[in-house]
Amino acid sequence: MADTEALYQQRRVRIEKAIALEEVDRVPIAYMGMAFAPRYMGMSIAEYCEIDQNNTDVTLAAMDRLGADVWDGINALPCGRIVPSLTSLWLSQIDTPGRELPPDSLWQVNESEVMKPEEYDVILDRGWPAFLDGYLPRVIDVDELEASRAWVRANLDSVKDQCRSHGYVPISFGSTSIPFEYLCGARSMNSFYADLYRHPAKIKEVMDVMVPHMIKDGINVARRSGIPAVWVGGWRSASSLLAPKIWDELVFPYFVEVTHALATEGIVSVLHLDQDWTRDLGRFRELPAKMCLMNSDGMTDLRQAKELLGDHMAIMGDIPAALLYSGTPDDIFEYVGALIRDVGPTGLILCPGCDAPINAKPENMEAFAAAGRELG
Amino acid sequence: MSLDRLASALADLEEDEVLELVHAELAAGTDPMAITRACQAGMTEVGDRFEANEYFVSDLMMSSVIFKEVGKILEPVLTSETQVKGGSVVIGTVKGDIHDIGKDIVVNMLKSANFDVTDLGVDVAPDRFIAALRETNASVLCLAGLLTLAFDSMAETIEAIAEAGLRDEVRIMVGGGPVDGRVCEVVGADDWGADAQAAVRLAKNWLEGDSAA
Repeated sequence: MADTEALYQQRRVRIEKAIALEEVDRVPIAYMGMAFAPRYMGMSIAEYCEIDQNNTDVTLAAMDRLGADVWDGINALPCGRIVPSLTSLWLSQIDTPGRELPPDSLWQVNESEVMKPEEYDVILDRGWPAFLDGYLPRVIDVDELEASRAWVRANLDSVKDQCRSHGYVPISFGSTSIPFEYLCGARSMNSFYADLYRHPAKIKEVMDVMVPHMIKDGINVARRSGIPAVWVGGWRSASSLLAPKIWDELVFPYFVEVTHALATEGIVSVLHLDQDWTRDLGRFRELPAKMCLMNSDGMTDLRQAKELLGDHMAIMGDIPAALLYSGTPDDIFEYVGALIRDVGPTGLILCPGCDAPINAKPENMEAFAAAGRELG
Repeated sequence: MSLDRLASALADLEEDEVLELVHAELAAGTDPMAITRACQAGMTEVGDRFEANEYFVSDLMMSSVIFKEVGKILEPVLTSETQVKGGSVVIGTVKGDIHDIGKDIVVNMLKSANFDVTDLGVDVAPDRFIAALRETNASVLCLAGLLTLAFDSMAETIEAIAEAGLRDEVRIMVGGGPVDGRVCEVVGADDWGADAQAAVRLAKNWLEGDSAA
């Protein structure tokens, strides 16, 4: 037990040094594979989604099986049911295995225009929390959502202890985002993107009303968990998806505001960035130094990120999901080696890009763990 | 001259101006097909700007929104005889995947490029793709998917098409978020598109190749 605690502390320091861009004794390696874990351990995705404790148990079991000696930590504390937390973040209905979907399939966002255009005025007139109270019942059973949140509140400490007893450091817990992502999920991508061209001034006004709540959510979740790092996600707001004028006015200023507000409270923003953000990497220097962790999914050019931001923020990533599915163990070794050579060793945490997919080849995840052990 | 202005306004994503010009052209007695061709020229310019990295996905989506609005205005006055179509393409998101945004962008770009598009929607089983290929005689098939789970379905669909004896009749492209050249090879497709414009270019190349032959 004492050995595990010593190992945990050693790993915690290693991760903290990586985020602070200090020299490390080896490159830290983090697990991320929400749906991979149950598939790898023989649990149906329906069971994984249905029982609150399963997320923690099956994730830790998968990490142990892949190599308990390898993992410094896990991208985000595996605590509670995935679908309610994803629904809160996407504001879209999530189809669930065992309910709307076959038991061993993957949960999926069932996107539609749930929020109507006239509801921008509701946010302006009555505020974001009042809007959410009226909105959430349209995408999730609120009793179920509250039960899920209550379970997390009641079990957060025991889940943290469980991770600690395995020697794995949770790099972050909980999430927030910028107003763009919530509105995009609620309006649907097609409708929201059209809104961006048709009513940019009104959307900016709405976002200004919303952003203090996103900040408050991030601070509250970090205070409650005691883990001083929170996901600040971006997926539909990626540079590759948006015209520069929109990105400059309706995306990035809010990343600046949220990350600086969190940094003031000592909270690191784990920038969970799906899609390609390469075009605007230079702008990320405006985010608080050494208080952000760029967590990309394999699409952003990390060589450029290293060049432009290497002295400003650490990088976590980015073994692509497609490579984990279609590549070979040799490919994985090669990818990890090149990542350490080009992007590390300082300021790098090895991790699957976004999330190791449900059908990642087990031998590729085992190769990822082995490559971290041998090359890191 | 004002048709040129219409094409430019669409290329510049000026929705209000486009719709005003379309109404004005119709009121002036302009042939609806000429209006359509001007809008198609605008959409081609949008595609070119996208390829030149001047435009991004949001611009493609907005251009599709405007093109659809124009379509609603013109639909009552366009007769089937006047709507000469290019080649036939069947498209759908493969079984087990319900994502449609990327697929819909491709559908709209193909339609604006004058292809006759059969869109099967999402979560499409192999037998539905086979039935649509038989029904339309399409020689191009687009398989879309966002999840890595979709890769298995893409492979199964292509295998089923081969078993149905149609593989030599159709060229198959795959696309969607994580698709790359390696995935294309693994699932047995002929090629892949990194974005909607790449899909249109592939379809054009394949169908023009067929015409040349």
